[in-house]
Amino acid sequence: MDIIMQNLGYSFLQAFLLLAFAPLITGIIKKVKARLQNRIGSSIFQEYLDVYKWWRKPTILTPETSIIFIIAPFVYFATTFLAALMLPNLLGGKVAFGDVFVFVYILAIGRFFMALSSMDAATAFGGMGGSREIYISVLVEPAIMLAILSNLLRSGSTMLGNMAFDYTGVAFSVATVLTCIAFFAILIAENSRIPVDNPDTHLELTMIHECMLLEYSGRLLSLIHLTSMFKLAMFLVLFSMIYLPIELPLVLKVLLSAVSVSIIETLNNKMRLFKVPVYIATTMILLVLAIVAQ
Amino acid sequence: MIKVKADALQGTANILNKNGNHALLAMFGADERATSGKLAIYCLFAHPDKRDVDILKAEFDKNEDSYESLTSVIPASAWYEREIFDMFGLKPKNHPDLRPLVLHENFPEGFHPLLKTEPVDKQIRGTREYEMAVSKGEGLFEVPVGPIHAGIIEPGHFRFSQAGESMLQLDAKLFFTHRGIEKAMEGKTPFEALAMAERICGACSIANTWSYCQAVEKIAGVTVPKKAEIIRTLLLEMERLYNHVGDLGNIPAGVGFSPAISLGNKLKELLMRCNEVVTGNRFLRGMLIPGGVKFDLTEEIVTQVLATLEDVEKGFLDLVQMMEEQDEFKDRIRTTGILRYSTAKDLAMVGVGARASGIKADSRKDFKYGIYDELDFALITKEVGDVEARIQVRIEETKETLKLVRQLIEKWRTTLDVQLICEVPLKAGQAWGVTESARGNNVHWITLDDNGKIDRIFIRSASYPNWPGVAIATNGDIIPDFPLINKSFELCYACIDR
Repeated sequence: MDIIMQNLGYSFLQAFLLLAFAPLITGIIKKVKARLQNRIGSSIFQEYLDVYKWWRKPTILTPETSIIFIIAPFVYFATTFLAALMLPNLLGGKVAFGDVFVFVYILAIGRFFMALSSMDAATAFGGMGGSREIYISVLVEPAIMLAILSNLLRSGSTMLGNMAFDYTGVAFSVATVLTCIAFFAILIAENSRIPVDNPDTHLELTMIHECMLLEYSGRLLSLIHLTSMFKLAMFLVLFSMIYLPIELPLVLKVLLSAVSVSIIETLNNKMRLFKVPVYIATTMILLVLAIVAQ
Repeated sequence: MIKVKADALQGTANILNKNGNHALLAMFGADERATSGKLAIYCLFAHPDKRDVDILKAEFDKNEDSYESLTSVIPASAWYEREIFDMFGLKPKNHPDLRPLVLHENFPEGFHPLLKTEPVDKQIRGTREYEMAVSKGEGLFEVPVGPIHAGIIEPGHFRFSQAGESMLQLDAKLFFTHRGIEKAMEGKTPFEALAMAERICGACSIANTWSYCQAVEKIAGVTVPKKAEIIRTLLLEMERLYNHVGDLGNIPAGVGFSPAISLGNKLKELLMRCNEVVTGNRFLRGMLIPGGVKFDLTEEIVTQVLATLEDVEKGFLDLVQMMEEQDEFKDRIRTTGILRYSTAKDLAMVGVGARASGIKADSRKDFKYGIYDELDFALITKEVGDVEARIQVRIEETKETLKLVRQLIEKWRTTLDVQLICEVPLKAGQAWGVTESARGNNVHWITLDDNGKIDRIFIRSASYPNWPGVAIATNGDIIPDFPLINKSFELCYACIDR
């Protein structure tokens, strides 16, 4: 029992560390993007200031909203934090819990609540954002399942912790490279980045994730943005731990994948909304190939 | 000028329009009760063979305040008739959509600001109905956007009628910041009102000012010195250059294609700084005046322009290559926002928007002004009418314009004329002026009274006939494509908020 508590303690510590560094990772992505586009860009610490800025501002609620609107950001944060607890523990000991299926569906709960809240204020945009978000998540979910399955065959366990620790595959086998590419593509779709969604513009008509947040302000908005950055950081860490078949210290691997996100966002433009299924289908084909290759 | 009675307006206009082949350039009202005792409606039709304009004037007797609407025979007149109804109270009978256009719900009914009986400084507030046009039905919903947008752009309200992601109908409510420029210019001499003409729009300052000068010069019956014409033509092409390059760089913003956006912004900035070197103003203001130009260029300035051109051309070719090599970008722009040839013709659309749909119209070729007849450039048209076609028209026109600017600088260097300006006597008269701005032709109509003061000025910028076309081009596309379609037309709000 003590060991379980101790391991849980480590997991908490790791999750908090990740939360603390998440805005920095987003800041680095933004900075690299700006430099790649001949712009100077804001400081890599800007995201901390933004979160603080929204935190200080009052929250304005429209009279139409229900309790869902207020609890949704907390559910979003809580589920993301819970998912982060399941990451393979690097500080010591094994993770006490962390089945990948639980991981995926805990994240789904958060998304479900955000989609609910987007309809809560009854604006036309919010509903569209919610519908688009669900449309994409429906597509992404089976792809994540396949990515897991591909790893499952190797590690023989559905525990995220075991997956990372038992991962002894050759650095550049066909299967690992294919899975790596596919999971990265999923990561981009899941975290609303270009070419699936555009996190920068406020062209309200084309947004997906941001579209759902239009009615939020103040602390609730601050919490949502922090959670989104947290989720991105978590996915980058997960990607680096389990899917990136390169032998490097984890910090460098995370940085490498963050920079890759910037490069992909610079090289691509946003695709047609109805082309997203083709994009996801491509990743699924890669994953099927990866499974076959094993 | 053909003068008819109000009840003959529809029939005569239909003959002059030649099934849309002689495009309706402008249609506007005038309050001439002080001179002839009547209200009047003027229609200007292009006459491509004569390279001239047919003017039709319909006069209204004292008790007449309505006429048979032209919209059923000339669809392009729909907006003009709504504006005339707002401004003069002349009612088009059987108009399919006679909602207010310029005066929104914050004006009272029965207020017609351009009538001479309304003082220019009248403070007014009131209420009236302003309904947006929407589609109704099971599962349909409306998406309101604007008038305040998430960006530094001008106000405009768009109401989308949606079936899921598909746009069924789009109604645009514009004219939010109506400035009353036409009314404010009345009673001033053309020289006093010049600064206002220059500030109708930022992006087509030269085109508007030159159309204005043309009209004034025609009334005075003077011929502008050759050297002034060369400089004016050069300025107009420089204006087209910075607009086309800026617009091309802005289209990728609709799809988040950031390297192209950055490069486009950089090139536009280079050109605008070059503008400042030439006229002392980034929008090329302060150079044109009725009768000629205010000052000459110098060899030093010209060398600097040529050097900038060199840089910009290199960057521009990079930008073009970037857009052409990006498959995802091609995928977004192809077949998006198709505007059919027949629609563009019915609405008498102008400029890039019309030429991308196969309409062979360019005022630089269709009318005689400046020194365009001595220059070598091609009329660019495309057939498809989608976003890609509009991009291609802009790209090829930019290349033509780069050639033109060099030709013009050569002309300026070799011309033996030295005179820059001529005397413009102000007398009573009426005339039109037209120039091709980056967005299409800008038409001005000026009536001067016996004292040489402006009695009526009508300003029709290129964006005016094209806005209704944008709404139609969106039909059948999905709402995330709207920013892209809108940017591919890149119409101006200020031009219609005059």
